[in-house]
Amino acid sequence: MIQQVENPIIEIHDLSVAYERKPVLWDVDLSLPEGQLIGIIGPNGAGKSTLLKSIMGLLPLNSGFIKIKDKPLKDVRDYISYVPQRESVDWDFPTSVYEVVMMGRYGKLGLLKRPRKSDKEIVMESLRKVGMESYKDRQISQLSGGQQQRVFLARALAQQADIYFMDEPFAGVDAATEKAIVELLREMSAQNKTVIVVHHDLQSVARYFDWIILLNMRLVASGPIESTFTPELLQETYGGKLTLLTEISELIQKNRFPNREKKNVG
Amino acid sequence: MWDNVIDFFSFQDINVLYVSLGTIILGASAAIVGAFTFFRKRALVGDAVAHSVLPGVCMAFLLSGTKNYLLLIIGAFVSGWISLLFVDKIVKKSKIKEDTAIGLILSVFFGLGILLLTYIQQSGNAAQTGLDSFLFGKAASMIGRDVLVFSIISLVLIIMVVAFFKELFLISFDENFAQAIGLPVKAIEFLLTSLTVLAVVTGIQAVGVVLMAALLITPAAAARFWSGRLIGILVLAAFIGSFSGLAGTFISYLAPNMPTGPWVVMVLSAIALVSIFFSPSKGIMARLLKQNRNKRKIEEENVLKAFFQLNEAKERLDIPLSAKDIQEKRFYTIGQIGSVMARLKRQGYLKKSGNTYYLTVEGKRKSMRLVKLHRLWELYLTKYLRIAPDHVHEDADTIEHLITPELEQKLEKLLGYPVVDPHNSEIPYETNYQQQ
Repeated sequence: MIQQVENPIIEIHDLSVAYERKPVLWDVDLSLPEGQLIGIIGPNGAGKSTLLKSIMGLLPLNSGFIKIKDKPLKDVRDYISYVPQRESVDWDFPTSVYEVVMMGRYGKLGLLKRPRKSDKEIVMESLRKVGMESYKDRQISQLSGGQQQRVFLARALAQQADIYFMDEPFAGVDAATEKAIVELLREMSAQNKTVIVVHHDLQSVARYFDWIILLNMRLVASGPIESTFTPELLQETYGGKLTLLTEISELIQKNRFPNREKKNVG
Repeated sequence: MWDNVIDFFSFQDINVLYVSLGTIILGASAAIVGAFTFFRKRALVGDAVAHSVLPGVCMAFLLSGTKNYLLLIIGAFVSGWISLLFVDKIVKKSKIKEDTAIGLILSVFFGLGILLLTYIQQSGNAAQTGLDSFLFGKAASMIGRDVLVFSIISLVLIIMVVAFFKELFLISFDENFAQAIGLPVKAIEFLLTSLTVLAVVTGIQAVGVVLMAALLITPAAAARFWSGRLIGILVLAAFIGSFSGLAGTFISYLAPNMPTGPWVVMVLSAIALVSIFFSPSKGIMARLLKQNRNKRKIEEENVLKAFFQLNEAKERLDIPLSAKDIQEKRFYTIGQIGSVMARLKRQGYLKKSGNTYYLTVEGKRKSMRLVKLHRLWELYLTKYLRIAPDHVHEDADTIEHLITPELEQKLEKLLGYPVVDPHNSEIPYETNYQQQ
């Protein structure tokens, strides 16, 4: 059950992605509505992060295209914001909370420019929103898991975007942080921001999201939570991997086979 | 010997001054650029580049027939870059991992360089004298004009790092994010690699290609122990690099037959070793001291606790006890207990009377608190972790020394100010004992 929308904020057409030649996403085709809290749901290895990274232009695509606000990614970078997985960076890196959040302003600043007063204010404002104002000079190596996640969130807020992509923001955080993040997400969606979250805790899905994308190497469903969060569709998403699909993926990788044949142009 | 030292520092020979200034600035620039390879966890790349510039230097000499530094630098730059491109291609196109690829390329390029160098030395070209100092460095053999070339490159390197600091910082910390916000990550990586190659090139005369990697990596690695901020580390690394470079030059003048590179590395390693041992926050000494403090704290608290436990049955806390009495509760030697009790006396928790000690008011309060924490934690373990009562004692024996007053309050509240522990021993609260 894949529901397409009119005037989508994000449109994904025929997207296939491979990691080291092994296909992990097959022909994903979907469109997403503006101003909603959207969850990407699926088992481990389903390609949730891959989908997010593909939309952000961090991975080469095997096929298909993505349009955001009806434009290619490079024209809308200023409107999108990204929260990578917390484990993707080295938290022993010698830097402070403030400096990490300031990175959120780098895209707007451009090369060779130093942060302006307005950037500093935005950074402090973002820190305040996640309740980390008093930690601004703290070494990032001294933060707890929940605090690290808040810092990443503050950095995304500092980007002042319209669309937010978050990769597992609830993974390994304390209950207070989870609650704070959810409230923040609601607030953002009330301001007509679109928030797309990779999530794997099924218990909280129905409470958190307006719209969900069910994924397991292929798109199982995409639609409003009421009609999409159903036992049948969950069964289809989680009911074991499609063994044949996995085997084909491995065969492609082993034989270094092309994922798509080259089209003869002209 | 002393004459040489005085000669060196009086800078009467203007060349000594030039070379000293030159090595200071090249040490600083190599350390600053190298810090970023260190933080990107690609330290070996610096080593690969350093070894791989040799064939380029030799080729440039063979083609031009002169020891023109500008040409040699261009040659070094080209072969350094080609080596990195090869590493990249090998990793992408084959199943060989990066460390292996670096090892392969490093030895192939260095081997080729040595072949060419030997060929040049045997060719009888008079201009080649001194080319062999590129291997291990000879700072003293540089002259004013060479120094100027290297110094200008070093300055350019430092200026580039300052100008692109923000971008270099970001790709070192979070490359994915850098790419996501549309930063030209590939271009910045290209810039950093070029800076690294250039930093190596500036050091070939003073330090030599074989050991140049040390000047890239070691200053940052040592500085990491002293500062938690990237800027602080960069500044400190620059100082360490400069100092080592200068030290190498100095030795090079004192002992003209001695190659500079190994001395630079010796000085660097000494600084790194001192950092590893004596850094106040991360050093081995600091850790040992902390461990020792913890050990003493545990000993002291255990003896205090024994005082409470032994007196508890008699319902009086001020009965004097000897070291031998304490042994009933703790497997310490008499001597050990004696010195612990002496320490506790100094801290005001015990008072001495003859051969025995008894608890002071502070001692009573503290020993009671420790027993309380022990029993509260045992209760917490049985109640919340569902651990059997006969398994909780050892655990509580450690944790009791660690619980802070804030955690103590939380624990009391969570358990509802319980009266007895899982073994039905009374949990002592200060209020209950105030009557005594």
